[in-house]
Formats: sequence, structure tokens, C-alpha cells
Amino acid sequence: MLARSRLFVGAVRNAAVNTTKRAASTSAEAASPFKLNAAGTAATAVAMGSMAWYYHLYGPELHAMTPVEEGLHPTKYPWVHAQYTKTFDHQALRRGFQVYREVCASCHSLSRIPYRSLVGTVLTVDEAKAMAEENEYDTEPNDEGEIEKRPGKLSDYLPSPYKNDEAARAANNGALPPDLSLMVKARHGGCDYIFSLLTGYPEETPAGAVVPEGLNFNPYFPGTGIAMARVLYNELVEYEDETPATTSQMAKDVVEFLNWSAEPEMDQRKKMGMKVLVITSALFALSVWVKRYKWSPVKTRKVVYAQPQMGGRRGH
Amino acid sequence: MGFFDIVAAAMPWSESEAEAVSGGSSTVSTPANSGGKGEGEAKDPSGPTPDDKDEGGDEGEEKEDGGEKEEEEEEEEEEEEELVDPKETFEEECKESKACAPVKHHFEECVERVTGNTDSKAPHEDCVEEFFHLAHCANQCAAPKLWAALK
Repeated sequence: MLARSRLFVGAVRNAAVNTTKRAASTSAEAASPFKLNAAGTAATAVAMGSMAWYYHLYGPELHAMTPVEEGLHPTKYPWVHAQYTKTFDHQALRRGFQVYREVCASCHSLSRIPYRSLVGTVLTVDEAKAMAEENEYDTEPNDEGEIEKRPGKLSDYLPSPYKNDEAARAANNGALPPDLSLMVKARHGGCDYIFSLLTGYPEETPAGAVVPEGLNFNPYFPGTGIAMARVLYNELVEYEDETPATTSQMAKDVVEFLNWSAEPEMDQRKKMGMKVLVITSALFALSVWVKRYKWSPVKTRKVVYAQPQMGGRRGH
Repeated sequence: MGFFDIVAAAMPWSESEAEAVSGGSSTVSTPANSGGKGEGEAKDPSGPTPDDKDEGGDEGEEKEDGGEKEEEEEEEEEEEEELVDPKETFEEECKESKACAPVKHHFEECVERVTGNTDSKAPHEDCVEEFFHLAHCANQCAAPKLWAALK
């Protein structure tokens, strides 16, 4: 009681002081927001300024490359085999392998592909065996230490057109035809790039373009000067399934084949992905039910507050 | 015909449907020719039908003229006519289209300027960039049509 009265007196005294202060401050109120916000405004201005300065210094990307050096970016084609639930078209792989064998293989190796991996995906066993036997491979050293030649087996790899890179360069005017085994993975744009490159040789080079001696103009090749000339022409290959062998058809088939050679596991990988989805969704469903089961005693519990009985003094 | 046809029927956006929309002008697609492989089943715009007609006409002429040389020439012509790369035809169409008209105009203007400029000592200029833009436009427009036409 005593303390309370003392507080009350203090409050009254303070109130008197406060009213005078408030009366004094109302005149300065118009100017006060700027003063209050000055620091914040300045800090914001500095922050914005530093951002602007940073953008001025480092923001705009420097394009040292001309579009010619960069090359024309390939168009995106709606590859069926690139869809999540689609496999390679193995008929197309077969055609593509034919194109590789009859056209590309004279310059480009496919050194990471053994005949055995073609079995069941591109060729039958007998076809692959027959094809392997057309080539000669080194044997293990015999009793005299001589290395002889033997016909190829399924376990042998596709033969390369040149003995080594130097021989390949020497035969191709200094340019090395790259190995195609992983080419779809090795180039930006993948399938689209290779397809565009194969079919993109224009009939005439655009006016003013300078194509160095021994090179060919291809807009998709960075620098536009490519050592490989156009190789695919209509009806260069005769397909066994009588698909019309237009340039773009052959290019499409061979690109799909090269995608297979770079990712022979693709079909299995997609199947595995589907399995993962099936199993995880099943396990998730299971876990939902198990949780429900485990929680059922907790969820169905009823907590009741029973007011304690205070005996006879209840009516107090 | 099979499972794929049912799937194709259920999905109007699937590729087999897209083909029909973009089917080449010269194509006379007969359903009997199309096999049972759901998607990617397409007619080449340079299908056999128009060529067959040409053949018939040429044969008639041939009989009038006679002579083996004529025949050889006719065969050569046939080979030339038999296959037209659908990519080229589609891209030509696309280059003429309205969407590519500005870039085509730029390219042509550039070609004119550069070819007409050879005598003077003007700085070297090429039309590669303009060509890129035109090719990009044409390819972009032709890509879905081409994929519908190829197997």
C-alpha cells in the first residue's frame, strides 16, 4: 500500500514534466523524420551506389568471341530417345551403325565399342561374329615369341581406320578425325550438335566469309572452318529396311547410334530409374500406413481433466 | 493395331499426331503403307507417289522418242528427283515464312552490300552473322516438321 502510493505520486510528477516536453517537441516534429532516417538513407544510398559501381565494373559480360568463333548454336530437335520413358529405337541404331560402317568408319574410329556390345542391341550374334571375323587382330605371342594374326572375335573392339593419331593426321591434311565412341557426350549440344553439323553444310558460303585453304564452311563448327567436308548425301547408303536414305535420315540414324555408343546403358538406366520411383513410392506409402498404425494409440487417446475432489470443504 | 496405337490415340499431342499436321504438301499418305510402329511413323514428303506419277509421264515420252540414251538420262533424272532431303525443303519453306522474313531481309541486304562492295576500299565485311540468324530461324521452324517426317 505504501509503495503503491509512492509510485502514484511519482507518476503525477512525471506527467507534469512529460506534458511540457511533449509540447516543446511538437514544433520540431516536422523536421525529425529526416534526422531520424538520415543514417538509414545514407547507408541505403551507399549500398545502392556500391551495387551500381560493381555492375559498372564487372556486370556486363565481356564477349571477346565473335559469333563466328562461337559457331551457330544447334537447334534443339525433339529426339524421341531423349525422353524419360523412351528407349533407343533399335531399328534406327541398326541403320545408324550401317551409316557409321559405310561412311564414317573410313576416317573415324569407334575404339571403345567391342563387337560383343553390338550383339542384341544392333546386330544378331551371327552377324556380329561374321563382322568381327572380317578383321584381323594380333594374337598373343606364340612359342617363338612371334605375334601372328587371327580373325576377330566377339570380344575384339571395332578396328580403327588408322594405326595411331599421327597416321590419322598425316592422312587428313593435319586434321585428326576424333574417335566417335563418346562424341555425343563430348560436345556441347550432344545429338543436336552432331546432327546439325552433319546436315548443316550450306550450299554456298555466305558472302564475304573467308574459308581457309583445305577447310570447309560449316556454321555449327566453332570458327566455321572444319576440315571434314560434307560426307552425307542422299542415297549414299542403301538401308536394308528400305527407309529412304536422305541426308537428314542418315544423320539422324548415325547420331542416335553414336548416342548409343556413348551411353549404351541408357535403356537400362531409364528402367532402373523407373524401378527407383516404384520402390520409393511403395516404401513411402508403406511408411505412411506404418506411421498411422504406430500413432493410433496416441491419436485416439483422450486426456480428461477431472477436477480434484476437495472433500467436504467444496462449498467454501 | 496394337498397344502403341491406343496410346497414340489417347495422347493427341504425341508425335504420330503431329505428323499429320505438318505433313508435306506433296505427300499422299496412305494408311495402308504405315506400319504398326506407333511413333516416328512418318511419310517422307518426297514419298514414292509423286515420283511414280512422274515416271509414268516420262515413260510415255520415252516411248515416243525411243533410244537408250534417253532412258539413261531419264534414270539420272529419276535419281535426282527421287529423294529430296526433307530438311532442305522444310528449311526453304521456313526461310520464306513470315517469321523469318526480317532476318532473311537482313541477310539479303548484307549479301547485296558485300557483293556490290568489292571494288572499293571499304573494310572487309562478311554476312556470316546474318547467315547465322537466318539459319537459326529456319532450323527452329523446320525442326518439329523434320522430326515428324523422318523415321
